Amino acid sequence: MNTIGRTTANWIILGLTLTFLIGPFLIIILAGASDTEFLAFPPQGLTLRWYAKVFTVESFRASFMLSMGLAIFGTLLALVLGVPAAYALNRYDLPGAETVRTIVAAPIIVPGIIVGLALLRYVVVPLDVTVTMALFMAHTALVLPYAVRVVSSSMHNLRGDMEEAAVLLGCSRFQAFTKVVLPNIRGGVLAAFILGFVTSFNQVPVSLFLSGPGVRTLPIDMLAYMEITFDPSVAALSALLAFMSLAIVFVAERLLGFSRYV
Amino acid sequence: MFRNRREGLALALPAAIFSSLLFLAPVAVLLSEAFRGTGGGFSLQGYVDFFSAPLNRTVFLRTLKLGALVAGSAAVIGYAAAFCIVNLGGRARGTIFGMVVLPLMISPVARTYAWIVILGRTGIVNGAITGLGLSESPLRLLFTETAVYLGLLQLFLPLMIISLVSAMENIPRDVIPAARVLGASWISVFFKVILPLTKEGLVIGGTLVFTGSLTAYITPAILGGSKVLMLETLLYQRVNVSNDFVSASVIAMILIVMSFSANLLLKKIATARS
Repeated sequence: MNTIGRTTANWIILGLTLTFLIGPFLIIILAGASDTEFLAFPPQGLTLRWYAKVFTVESFRASFMLSMGLAIFGTLLALVLGVPAAYALNRYDLPGAETVRTIVAAPIIVPGIIVGLALLRYVVVPLDVTVTMALFMAHTALVLPYAVRVVSSSMHNLRGDMEEAAVLLGCSRFQAFTKVVLPNIRGGVLAAFILGFVTSFNQVPVSLFLSGPGVRTLPIDMLAYMEITFDPSVAALSALLAFMSLAIVFVAERLLGFSRYV
Repeated sequence: MFRNRREGLALALPAAIFSSLLFLAPVAVLLSEAFRGTGGGFSLQGYVDFFSAPLNRTVFLRTLKLGALVAGSAAVIGYAAAFCIVNLGGRARGTIFGMVVLPLMISPVARTYAWIVILGRTGIVNGAITGLGLSESPLRLLFTETAVYLGLLQLFLPLMIISLVSAMENIPRDVIPAARVLGASWISVFFKVILPLTKEGLVIGGTLVFTGSLTAYITPAILGGSKVLMLETLLYQRVNVSNDFVSASVIAMILIVMSFSANLLLKKIATARS
């Protein structure tokens, strides 16, 4: 095959693959703009009313706030637990370091639906914990592995003798951490926050069983909504969520070179 | 390296305790439920009962089948796409790679919903079929294994492409032209040069796609419904419709065993490499 033929074949394969991966998003963006009472594609007439309607649906507003809260505070707590753990795993001669690593990484391996069910059966019901609290704990544990991994890898690149120098120059160990280590791993911590936020916000299986009256995360609420209604508002909301993720990733990439950390 | 072990433990333990108490302990109790006989004590009756029901066996085999099909298809498409990406130069390569990775950051519900627009009664495919006069009435394309297969493939294909791209980047630059000059056809270049050199990437990608498909909930829930149950949707039904916690626990055990063995395999590959 000649070079031109090869290059063309190259782009055809890539074009087809990207159409398969990204095409569906273009379709939901347009489907959400259809001026019909039901889902239609190609859209019949263009309107933004479904995009506007998304913001007026009471349950979407409530579940969006819950998902936001879980993603932000769950990830923050995961960082509060995860940054010291990552530090200890990197800098201390820990007995049982491998066990700690395995335990902290476990939430990635255990399928989420099982965790949700287990928490409902053995924590929420017998201990009288609220569903919101259980969601918060589950989302924190879920994000923890990412927090530890991302922060660890950015700490790994930081030479340990810098802290030792700080300690020799009169800093306490804690000051050495806040003044020397933390400023140097800031990018990693931020990247961990973004990755954790996106993971928690998009998470479905863990939250599946942990829903109560008025307590539903946004994706769960969308699943429930699309079972009863066929109007284009779920398509509009899906498109908006896709835009939100794109914006987050884009800003993160510009500010941090996010992809280095993931 | 600091030597003060107590200080190190004080830093690491909160995270470990949090995960064990709030995550692992409840899961362990749940898993033990299927081993408890009616009078207490150890029993495997839960497993026997589960696999003696034809529906459960169908769902179990379907889940394995779809997982294998999705992983296999992802490997074929993944090799073609990864090869093309690696052949690209500088800028274009980064952009295209970014476009492959991006969908991973977007809500799976949004990603799966698109297939309702494509495959639904008033969707594109049915529009084309009825428009061209191939069929009088719209076909039922949703709630079929094909729909679930397409949804899963779209969801997990990026993982395969990423693994294969990074494997192919490590192939020495000259080996493929060398093989060609020495007279190898493209087919033998693939089987004798590319495949052996990217085996690890294929195993990693394949494991991620396979376990991802086995433990997916959203795709079978939206695109399969109760007509095409998979293990996760079956588990949900067993709990929410029939309150059958023993079956739920059996399914949980199956999912965990598969997920853990896949993870062990990945770890083994990772340590063998370093």
